[in-house]
Amino acid sequence: MRVCCGLTGHLELARRPDLYGRPVIVGRWDEHVVAASEETLPFGVTPGMAMRQAEHLCPQAVFVLPDEEATIRIRELISAALYDFAPVVEVRVEGIAWLDTSGVAAAGLSIRNARHLLLKAIGREPRLGLAPGPFSARLAAARARPGHLLRVADAREFLAPLPARELPLDAEQLERLDLLGLRSLGAIAAIGPRELESQLGRDGRHAVLLARGLEPDQLDAWRPPLFTSAHRQFEEPVEDREALLFVARGLCSDLASELGLRGAGAKHVRVRLELESCEPETRESIVRHPLSSTAELFGLIGAWIKEWQPSAPITELWIELPVLEGAGRRQLRLWAGGDGSSEEVTAALERLQERFGEELVQRPRLA
Amino acid sequence: MQEVALESAINSIRVRFGSQALTRAAEMPPPQPWSSGTPVDQLTGIGGLPRGRLSLFTGSGTSGKLTVALSLLARATHEFAHAIVVDAGGFDPWTLTSYSPEPGALTVVRAPALEVAGEAAATLARAGAGFILLLGDVPEHWLGPLESGANRSGTVLVGVVDAPNRALAHASSFSLGFSRQDWIWERGQLVGLRVTARCVKNRVAPPLGETELEIRYPLGTKPLTDYRPRISEVAMRLKEVEPCASAVV
Repeated sequence: MRVCCGLTGHLELARRPDLYGRPVIVGRWDEHVVAASEETLPFGVTPGMAMRQAEHLCPQAVFVLPDEEATIRIRELISAALYDFAPVVEVRVEGIAWLDTSGVAAAGLSIRNARHLLLKAIGREPRLGLAPGPFSARLAAARARPGHLLRVADAREFLAPLPARELPLDAEQLERLDLLGLRSLGAIAAIGPRELESQLGRDGRHAVLLARGLEPDQLDAWRPPLFTSAHRQFEEPVEDREALLFVARGLCSDLASELGLRGAGAKHVRVRLELESCEPETRESIVRHPLSSTAELFGLIGAWIKEWQPSAPITELWIELPVLEGAGRRQLRLWAGGDGSSEEVTAALERLQERFGEELVQRPRLA
Repeated sequence: MQEVALESAINSIRVRFGSQALTRAAEMPPPQPWSSGTPVDQLTGIGGLPRGRLSLFTGSGTSGKLTVALSLLARATHEFAHAIVVDAGGFDPWTLTSYSPEPGALTVVRAPALEVAGEAAATLARAGAGFILLLGDVPEHWLGPLESGANRSGTVLVGVVDAPNRALAHASSFSLGFSRQDWIWERGQLVGLRVTARCVKNRVAPPLGETELEIRYPLGTKPLTDYRPRISEVAMRLKEVEPCASAVV
């Protein structure tokens, strides 16, 4: 496994790039500090401390209220963008982004692209680390200069001189390690996992494995949401059916490209027409076989639009695919001879049944 | 300047209706044959029924056209994932059992009206069904979408009608006229019929002429499933005609 870690500031700080270079503290009054910019570090402000204490330590800081929803949205956007560069990606709101580059054909290019992306998204050069696992990669990134990559070949050798406080242990456990004289990761790696487990419980065993560079933790891989949509807003309300069909075809093509990249198919299709001074009109259908190509999607949606009688001019067209599923099983029909678009034919038969009744299509069972 | 405008118009049509909506004649591939393994292949001039084109079997009742079409359908069920019968008449799937079809690939669309038959055929051709057998007429306004859909996907389209209307005859690229020549009697029993299949229109190759076929009925106490109607070619006579691009019905 080769994991690249990119460290940026907390994503709460990324919401306010205008405050870069100034001490910023994010948190609610009477609660704890959620995030603090690097400029507050000299004053001793750290995330998790009480806001009153942070204010006391750094009164000149700009205090910003957190917005969890916006931060999660940023995280999702970054995850989706990084997903183009590596199949396993994890992004945390604390400003840590991991990419598992194992098996990636051009890992160097992916890392460069990830750096540019993080710079664009956050507005600051990320620190990058490349190591055999997420723990060592994060520590390598923390020691890299902004915009630079620190490569680690031997994780154990790299980790050995680092302080024990880098381990994910609570204050009490760290104090205990200190009392035991285990102040570096090298010292912890030298003792057996069972010995430390007897002192700290399961966390102790975990800490030894981390210190030895064995990377017991796997990335919590981000998965694209199982829905997608495309829409087009019209500058002038549209009444022409041909124009609507033209736009629908384009949207279907965009969606098909996305589904193709994700190897997914749509099980549920919904079309919504936003109307001028009227309630929107919707039509939806659940299909038995997932649709994934332009022809399949437009075959269904185009047929709807051709017979749709909207009550007012259309201001916006939405095509939503609320339920996606893997389309990998479609490969089973790869060897079906002659016609390579078997799923499209099945989808076409379903559409005909939907329009003219179930009994229209029969599959005879011959003795 | 005109060339630029024309190129722009072509691109716009391709963007709007798909890359294959407009094809330059020079870029058009020759028709690809689907070899059915029947004597019909030799009449097409390209070694098989043309893919992406409409082939018509015409002739009066009991002239053998449906028998030949069903043998093609049975063959198609083995070669394509979808062999579809668009039935605007009264197709009985049991008539197919004697041809040993692959039932998993067979679908029958029972169209309650010609309009539905036309739409179903056009939709399925566009979707890329391997083989479509049309039993009955197709409304004129569905012939265009049917042709273009089949042309894009390479569907083998076979239509069976007694006498095609003008539009259907015009839309077909290959047309075979069947006529019964004789009944075949053996020991006082009717065992089959002898028919003539004559190429009356061919857009994909010069019309080649005609052949005689013998269609044998089942005899004896053999179960129906053991029986396979025999369609054999008898003393095929190729009538050489003047080479021409097409013949008119």
